[in-house]
Amino acid sequence: MSAVVPRLDLEAISKRFGAVEAVREVSLSIEPGEIRGLCGHNGAGKSTVINIIAGLIAPDDGQVRIDGQAVELRSPRDAQRHGIAWVDQELSLVDTLSIAENVMLGGIDARLLRRRRAERTMTRDLLAKVGLERHDPGELLSGLSLGERQLVEIARALGRGARVLILDEPTATLTDVEIERVFAAIRRVAADGCSVLFVSHRLGEVLALCDAVTVMRDGRIVDDHPVAELSADALVTAMLGEQLELAPHSRRDEIGETVLRVRGLSVGTLVNDFSHDFRSGHVYGIAGQVGAGAAEVLRALAGLMPDATGDVRLHGRPLDLRHPVRVKRQGIGFVTNDRKAEGLFLGRPVGENLTVAQLGRVSRRGVLSARLERDCAEMLAAAAGVDAGRLGQPVGLLSGGNQQKALVGRYLQTADVSVLLVDEPTRGVDIGGRAVIHRLLREAAEAGLAVIFATSDLDELLELAMTAITMRSGRVVGVYPDEVSRQVLLSDLTHLSERHGAGPIEAVR
Amino acid sequence: MSAIPIRRPPALDRVGAGRKILAVLGLATGVAIVIFAVLTRRFLTWDNIKAIFSSASLVGIMALGLTFITLVGSLVSLAVAPVAVVCAMAFLSALGLGLVPALAIAMALGAVINAGQGALIGAWNVNAVILTIGAGFLIDGFAQTVHGGKIILPAGGGYATLNSTPLGVPVAVYVMVGLAIAFQLVLKRTVLGRQILLVGSNRRAARAAGLPIGRITTAAFALAGASIGLGGAFLGAFNTGASTYLEGTLTFDAIAAVLVGGTAITGGRGSILRTLGGALAIAAISDVLLLRGLATGAQILFKGVLVVAVVVLTQVRLSGRDT
Repeated sequence: MSAVVPRLDLEAISKRFGAVEAVREVSLSIEPGEIRGLCGHNGAGKSTVINIIAGLIAPDDGQVRIDGQAVELRSPRDAQRHGIAWVDQELSLVDTLSIAENVMLGGIDARLLRRRRAERTMTRDLLAKVGLERHDPGELLSGLSLGERQLVEIARALGRGARVLILDEPTATLTDVEIERVFAAIRRVAADGCSVLFVSHRLGEVLALCDAVTVMRDGRIVDDHPVAELSADALVTAMLGEQLELAPHSRRDEIGETVLRVRGLSVGTLVNDFSHDFRSGHVYGIAGQVGAGAAEVLRALAGLMPDATGDVRLHGRPLDLRHPVRVKRQGIGFVTNDRKAEGLFLGRPVGENLTVAQLGRVSRRGVLSARLERDCAEMLAAAAGVDAGRLGQPVGLLSGGNQQKALVGRYLQTADVSVLLVDEPTRGVDIGGRAVIHRLLREAAEAGLAVIFATSDLDELLELAMTAITMRSGRVVGVYPDEVSRQVLLSDLTHLSERHGAGPIEAVR
Repeated sequence: MSAIPIRRPPALDRVGAGRKILAVLGLATGVAIVIFAVLTRRFLTWDNIKAIFSSASLVGIMALGLTFITLVGSLVSLAVAPVAVVCAMAFLSALGLGLVPALAIAMALGAVINAGQGALIGAWNVNAVILTIGAGFLIDGFAQTVHGGKIILPAGGGYATLNSTPLGVPVAVYVMVGLAIAFQLVLKRTVLGRQILLVGSNRRAARAAGLPIGRITTAAFALAGASIGLGGAFLGAFNTGASTYLEGTLTFDAIAAVLVGGTAITGGRGSILRTLGGALAIAAISDVLLLRGLATGAQILFKGVLVVAVVVLTQVRLSGRDT
């Protein structure tokens, strides 16, 4: 028995969902004040473990202990009572309330709500703990950046007496500067004795922040090491179970003809005079921080920005940007950055989600052919790397990575699509899925498409783009058809650090 | 420190537990109703079953089409009854041309009136409930103005065919069953049916995928309009006359059949055959209450309870699934 009683101790936790063994005999113990990273492929069982700790799922077997006390977490409320706080990817704050009101929201001590002053003082203390001391508790939440909101969310957890803080992909939508602030807050919180479970796909961040890292694969824990003994390669190997080639792509020489010619594309104040020639067989990456206009360029080209103006020609024919239906019919495929809200038909089967853009191909005079549709779905599943055995299941049951494959898959293998627009190709996708998505997009280009993606992730830009375009405040900063260094890109994207006139960065939903 | 392994049935998750309880509740209610029904004298007789089918048929025919509106994500139309009455008037007036042309006119008129509403809803994302309330008043007012409060009488004798009972079963029952099968095929086997389900499942995703939402919504409304027109023809035939007094509770009866069938009010999930089941279930329960000698008030009360219960059950069940 160790000298220190672990703060959170899972012993031999198992959980099945029907025939699927989601987690198997997972044992995990975190000491007070420890920052523990939890890594793994999508579908490795991380979410199940978090859900069990947060009281959302009851384990079939095993024991959860907090500070040595066996506890039963039957509901989120139980978990909260035992000092477990979960800060989700999607923040649960209310824009129209003040910081203090948000911090106190849903707190257990309801009487506090009536005591404004006590509330403010308490909020002020909590804000200081997460590095928001310069903000007044009375400020409206809507004035805060995404990163600051994350900090408010952490402050709220502390206010509820959190002893274990679960952070699920907290950095996915943040800029580099903001990530540093969040990390500083996490370190401070840990120094005060709160244990932190940090779940992330970004291995660099895990290595930089955590004391130790637990790696899950196929529902089990495969590795559990102090961070000092780990390297990024070792982590990746542990996660994937084999050496994955992270080979940077080779820049291709043969470039096709211009498919999409964009001149003077503007979208309100979001995009200003964007012009470029996009050629077939090529992968273009448009990079920018949230709000820089990269995503909006893609949305405009997909016909989803009604106030877009400019001269856009596809194969020389003018593209009517006000109609997503016509844009699609002319041969432009669009993959959103918000898979659940705007991408997939979550309740419908995987097969229907794959064939949605090719219904004409699987029907005769408006009547669907079951055989043609099955063949088409199987072919697309194979092309996208989705398990053909799951075509009949609702797509919402797939992991994030597989959902993304299914979403991209609908535009593959068809002559109807000549330009593929992908907004944040690998948001919420693990490293293995990411490699697959990147390969898919590269293959799509090789098959003759012009692939254009928008990203806020520099690594992704460097890995995937053959031509990199950087944007800031709605304008193009640089175009790099050849090798380009990370430093150049980074300075392109963040030059605005003095932030003249730029308001707080708004969440893009 | 020894851990005592805890063992729980795997289904006892938070969501799973809730769903299980609901499933048991639903099943228990169903069994109770069936037992109650079977124990009712004369319930399980051929004549009574025919009576249930024929009392379900009029509302059933309209509800089958209305299902498309719910599935496409436009909730419901609150203008079912006014459209039905206008179509009944058109049908009766056109009977001079013969039965088939009159039926075609009634269906076409229903389709056109509804398509107009669908186009507005689909293209501009107007709230369907509000728009159809308005449309209902408009159509009603138009009808009253045109016929000046008089009852429209049949201009020919063809309507009698609709009231006949080949092999002892009313024509409306054949039509209801045939239409249910036809619409189910449209829903499951055609591109339009698929698109209706997809738009209803996620409208934003449908837009981003380049599906013609306006046209699909219009088509769903037109299908509903055609079936309401057909139902309207039967309505006119049964009453050998048509006026706005026929509207009664038609609109809400049709909506109840769709919802009791278990089609999700939020769209994207459900089927035509479910609505057929819903219409028959309501008719069967009314029938039992009638056989038991309960007053009309009690029947309506029971229908209300049933609709609320099923809607709540359906929504809870579906919300548990959307993870």
